[in-house]
Amino acid sequence: MPLIIKDEYPEKLFREDGKRLDGREKHELRPIKMEVGVLENADGSAYLEWGNNKIYAAVYGPREVHPHHLAKPDRGILRVFYRMATFSVFDRKRPAPGRREKEISMVITDCLKPVLFLELYPGTSFEVFLNVMNADGGTRCACTTVAALALADAGIPMRSLVTSVAMGKIDGELITDLSGIEDKAGEADLPCAMTWFNEEISLLQFDGSMDLKEFSESLTLAKEALTKIHEIQLETLKKKYIEIQEEFKGGENEK
Amino acid sequence: MMNIKRVISTIEKNYILSNLKKGERIDGRDLWEYRDWTVKSDVIASAEGSSEVTLGKTKVITGLKYDVGTPFPDLPNEGVCTFMAELLPLASPLFERGPPGNQSIELARVVDRGIRHADCVQTKKLCIKENEAVYILFVDIYVINYSGNLIDAGGVSALTTLLSSHIPEGKWEDGKLEWTGKYLTGKTIVNELPMVITYGKIGDVIFLDPSLPEELASEGKISISVTEDKITSIQKSGYATFSIEEIEMLSKKSMEIGNRVKKELNLEQYKLK
Amino acid sequence: MEHEKDESIEETITDDNETEEIDEYEGEETSRDVVVPGEVLTEDTKNFLPGRGTIFNKNRTKIISLNIGLKQIKRNYINVIPLRGFYTPRPGDKIIALVTDKNPVKYRCDINAKDDGILKPKNTIKRGKPRGYRGGPPDNQDNSTEKYDIGDILIVKVLSADRLNKPELTTVGKYLGKRRDGLVISIDPPKIPRVIGRSGSMIKMLKDLTKCNIFVTQNGRIWLKGEDIAHERLLIDAVRKIEKEAHTVGLTDRMSEYIKNEKTKRGIN
Repeated sequence: MPLIIKDEYPEKLFREDGKRLDGREKHELRPIKMEVGVLENADGSAYLEWGNNKIYAAVYGPREVHPHHLAKPDRGILRVFYRMATFSVFDRKRPAPGRREKEISMVITDCLKPVLFLELYPGTSFEVFLNVMNADGGTRCACTTVAALALADAGIPMRSLVTSVAMGKIDGELITDLSGIEDKAGEADLPCAMTWFNEEISLLQFDGSMDLKEFSESLTLAKEALTKIHEIQLETLKKKYIEIQEEFKGGENEK
Repeated sequence: MMNIKRVISTIEKNYILSNLKKGERIDGRDLWEYRDWTVKSDVIASAEGSSEVTLGKTKVITGLKYDVGTPFPDLPNEGVCTFMAELLPLASPLFERGPPGNQSIELARVVDRGIRHADCVQTKKLCIKENEAVYILFVDIYVINYSGNLIDAGGVSALTTLLSSHIPEGKWEDGKLEWTGKYLTGKTIVNELPMVITYGKIGDVIFLDPSLPEELASEGKISISVTEDKITSIQKSGYATFSIEEIEMLSKKSMEIGNRVKKELNLEQYKLK
Repeated sequence: MEHEKDESIEETITDDNETEEIDEYEGEETSRDVVVPGEVLTEDTKNFLPGRGTIFNKNRTKIISLNIGLKQIKRNYINVIPLRGFYTPRPGDKIIALVTDKNPVKYRCDINAKDDGILKPKNTIKRGKPRGYRGGPPDNQDNSTEKYDIGDILIVKVLSADRLNKPELTTVGKYLGKRRDGLVISIDPPKIPRVIGRSGSMIKMLKDLTKCNIFVTQNGRIWLKGEDIAHERLLIDAVRKIEKEAHTVGLTDRMSEYIKNEKTKRGIN
């Protein structure tokens, strides 16, 4: 039976005052808050709030491969498990992982691999668990971004972090950081991620309709957004240690 | 304590037990003391009710979603409330991914039974049109960090979620389901507030709210759900045995502890009017 | 069956071989700059080379950090001392193992590493044991796995660790063997040198002030035993504080202050 309140989308995705429905400018990011080391039982962990997205990430590894036949003799394997809580979306999601979650898991795995040195850990497994407790657009991008933090928190050597954002087009205009409603009702959805050691794209998907000029411009705008988000990631990693240093600073010589 | 992968060490078990015999617990609590609780409601915007509860370092997040369906033929004017629990791999290396295993099934069922038999959820109020349409509530508990005693944390989390719920109210008009513009809240849906209290047992010593090392070293466990003056559900697990005197003592203690904790946490504050 | 008793640890170890792991956090060449993966440490690749935890970029124009850690310059090497990490077994390491499984020919041990360690019966018996009756073959002790049980905590030494095989362990040696009491806690492996301190200064201070026996091992595990649970709790709290503040300066003095204050606060001496 249909739900009592229907999930309906408004006609226009811009308000009278030219701002987006949630009050943002065209290229404004939603508020992002990140934290590392939040789960003590995992080897590395991080938590992210991005707009209404609430995501926990945990890393286990390097550790033994289960089931054993998946182990590779010359390198470690990376597995990512992107899962959404049943209550994370408007229409309750069935508890078992669906095809969309498995596809996103694959895409994020390929996105994170370039920064890791899997050849140094033959016969082992690295697992990244990403649990979306509340979803509101761009979850695969938010998950990639928080996964990179969790990997760093686990002390796994990385060439650099990875940062991701969803670009898009609504009502004919290019925008940065799609929210849930903009994703569903808009004209194009372009999630992308960048690895910073070579400043190249490691995640790229596209759904919708854009001409070549719009596409090219979206990628340029993406890089600007990704740079800003990367800054937040770096600050999050350092903050924990710098705060403690500040606490005990008084009266010592600077090295 | 040592990071537990599969097995708890013998010296750790002995350490816990020898100190318990002296009335000492490794984290300094006394035998009938809970770790610190924190309770937050309405933490998930997409859910029609939610809560985040921590008990010591154990953390669970619970959310409620509703559906509308036809009632069971033998209960034509009652809605349904079902509970599910998932022990996420990120909560502990002891939790494997995949379909719910025994531990998550036990968590969901113990929380379910404690609430079901306590006249808590008013299933008759969950009826929109007799024989045609009733609410089906899904209360899903996700364990985010495992540090012992998932059951008590899950119980409080489920209760807070139901109390803080806000479900669109439907009415049956000309054979169709319509929104009244209002919401069904915990005020209507929730009546009694049962508390589930879990104890561990090692050797001859029984203690409240096992922490992770205590739980892994426990030979037996017993969870007792109570309202102010009634027992509503019990689950004993583990291979240890309990004497009849011990069980009676624990039942009595559970009501004292249940009332005390209910007052401390003041769960009523989460009820939406 | 009676097994020869293992050596028991009465004294804290402050031998050289326990402190050969230099406390990098207190070294003079270690800066207080916290760096993160991908961070450029220098573009002066003429005068510097990448050391521990660092790497050249593709065009060899920059040196980049691979970990979260403290930047360190030693001679012309740029290193990153990691603040987070996992344990990798090396031959000679003394570590704490937990027996998780056994079959008639070997023990399997959790050593807090990516692989479990293997302990073979021949590495649990000292050489030079008397042979069997009339100089015949040694009795079954040498080949059976009856000495230890699942759940036992063992102080072991890593004999070998390579890419193809699981690390091999031994309980034969000074201070090695089964621990019959006390407890074990885990900390982040990179912080272990900090708990030992320069020339063992930190660990000696901890032992003297908390009156606990303490054995610190390379895989992040610490065995301890105090005169009562109050002292043990104090020691554990102190170790956790060291773990958290490992990257700050003046830690040894601050820890000494902390323990003295806590002893007063908690009413123990």
